[in-house]
Amino acid sequence: MNNTPEPLHYLRSLLQADFVVLLRNRRAILAGLLSPIYIMFIAKSEKTQARLGGSHFLVVLAVTLGILSLALMGYAVNMARDRERGVFQRLRVTPVPQWTIMVSRLLIQVLISELIAIVVLVVGSRMNNITFSAGEYLSTLLVALLESAMFLAIGQALVGLVKSASTVTAVSSLLFAALLLTGLLGNSGILGDTFQTFSKWTPVGTIMSVFQSVLHQVAWNGHTTLSLFACFGYIVLCGFIGIKWFQWEAR
Amino acid sequence: MSSVAKNHSEKLPVLSVENLIVSYGSNKAVDNVSFSIKKGEIFGLLGPNGAGKTSTLSAIEGLVKPQSGNLLLEGTDMQKHPAEAKANMGVQLQSTSFQFELTIDQLIRLYAGLYNVQLARRDILNSLKEIGLESESGKRFKQLSGGQQQRLSLFIANIHHPRLLLLDEPTSGLDPQSRRQLWDTIEQNRRNGGSILLTTHSMEEAQSVCDRVAIIDHGKVITVDTPKGLIEKHKHDQRVRKVARGKVTLEDVFIGLTGNEIRE
Ligand SMILES: Nc1ncnc2c1ncn2[C@@H]1O[C@H](COP(=O)(O)OP(=O)(O)O)[C@@H](O)[C@H]1O
Ligand SMILES: [Mg+2]
Repeated sequence: MNNTPEPLHYLRSLLQADFVVLLRNRRAILAGLLSPIYIMFIAKSEKTQARLGGSHFLVVLAVTLGILSLALMGYAVNMARDRERGVFQRLRVTPVPQWTIMVSRLLIQVLISELIAIVVLVVGSRMNNITFSAGEYLSTLLVALLESAMFLAIGQALVGLVKSASTVTAVSSLLFAALLLTGLLGNSGILGDTFQTFSKWTPVGTIMSVFQSVLHQVAWNGHTTLSLFACFGYIVLCGFIGIKWFQWEAR
Repeated sequence: MSSVAKNHSEKLPVLSVENLIVSYGSNKAVDNVSFSIKKGEIFGLLGPNGAGKTSTLSAIEGLVKPQSGNLLLEGTDMQKHPAEAKANMGVQLQSTSFQFELTIDQLIRLYAGLYNVQLARRDILNSLKEIGLESESGKRFKQLSGGQQQRLSLFIANIHHPRLLLLDEPTSGLDPQSRRQLWDTIEQNRRNGGSILLTTHSMEEAQSVCDRVAIIDHGKVITVDTPKGLIEKHKHDQRVRKVARGKVTLEDVFIGLTGNEIRE
């Protein structure tokens, strides 16, 4: 009888394939790279930047935007689409454990998210004539890791709860806008106090609080710690929903 | 292996399916199905749409969990040892798809990796030549024609030379040339000692490639025999006589036993 394959062997094959698949996905890569650069471009005026929290903050906001779009347009939409095409069923009849199919995709998403964060940091500093210290680079990449995990968990919950690829695509766009607007407008305070409190606890709101402390705009305080916990809470909750209800088959 | 053990494994069926039941909610798609496949045998599941052919294969492939029943691959319990079972099975799904973004070359490498097969560059080129895809190796899966996709899918199903090949309606949608080529591949596989379980609703296919055929309907196996044996066994059946025009054919047996109302 044939032997079952070695984990290192098949993980490498899966990772390589998923890497190519994601890179060739023009829409996901464009969304992940162009949307942050676009927002930095339209918010170039000092007045806008000041209102949004300064140019350093604007750059990490752009990072968040890129990673959010990659998770929704790259992960959730592609998972739903490949599920409809039967790509996962074909992978599932091979001897590799099922969870590796998903984990490989997630790892590649995280890797590309970090690459996007680096590109946006470099482009953002050039555009705004600012510098990030090595420490700020490192901590931004660390927070980017956290937010990538959080947005991927949200994407996972979406494909866990919704089966049809076209619905996932539509909901992704809505979710993208909703998460972004609640996180952003809340911060500016223009929609009132209640909304501001609410928006502080949305996924984008919490991660931006962490970013503010990491960039030393606000000293690390109790609220920052709670925001950090909230991020982990979102990861656990959405991850649980997304894995418990996920189905490999579209019908 | 000692010669005693070897003799034993030669006699052991490659696959045995015992009292298999597969349900989707309250719908029993496979209802107490049993059959077994010998070494080198080509076994066909012949049945109308919705008969439960794909569901039977899905249970063997580990894609759906049977409600009850035993599945043995050369005596090994497939439900207890799924990875081992899958390492020795090759699969072509009814609606198979590979990642659209990957090229033929990349897909072959991916699946070689997943089945633990070492392929040298030259091996890949030779095999591509065999299936007439050597000039397409850089093309992405989505750029291939239906027939090319099917050939690639069959090649990948066979990439690790499994004991058992499971083909779900392998010839539906193929032109006559590709169909002949597929039958040749199946023959070649048999000569190498591999067993094949295929589903079809083509009488011609059942008759020309299958050693034995099980007619299945409403989740139940109605009858099993060689194609000739089926005709012999049922040619005097009233239901078969009624639909036969002249000499009884396999199709008459099929229609006679499964009824002539049209399935979705
Ligand atoms: N994933 C599924 N969920 C629910 N019902 C299913 C599923 N797959 C098949 N069925 C039902 O099970 C029955 C058998 O289907 P199937 O095994 O696909 O038949 P065949 O392959 O012989 O055409 C049909 O009634 C079909 O509607
Ligand atoms: Mg079918």
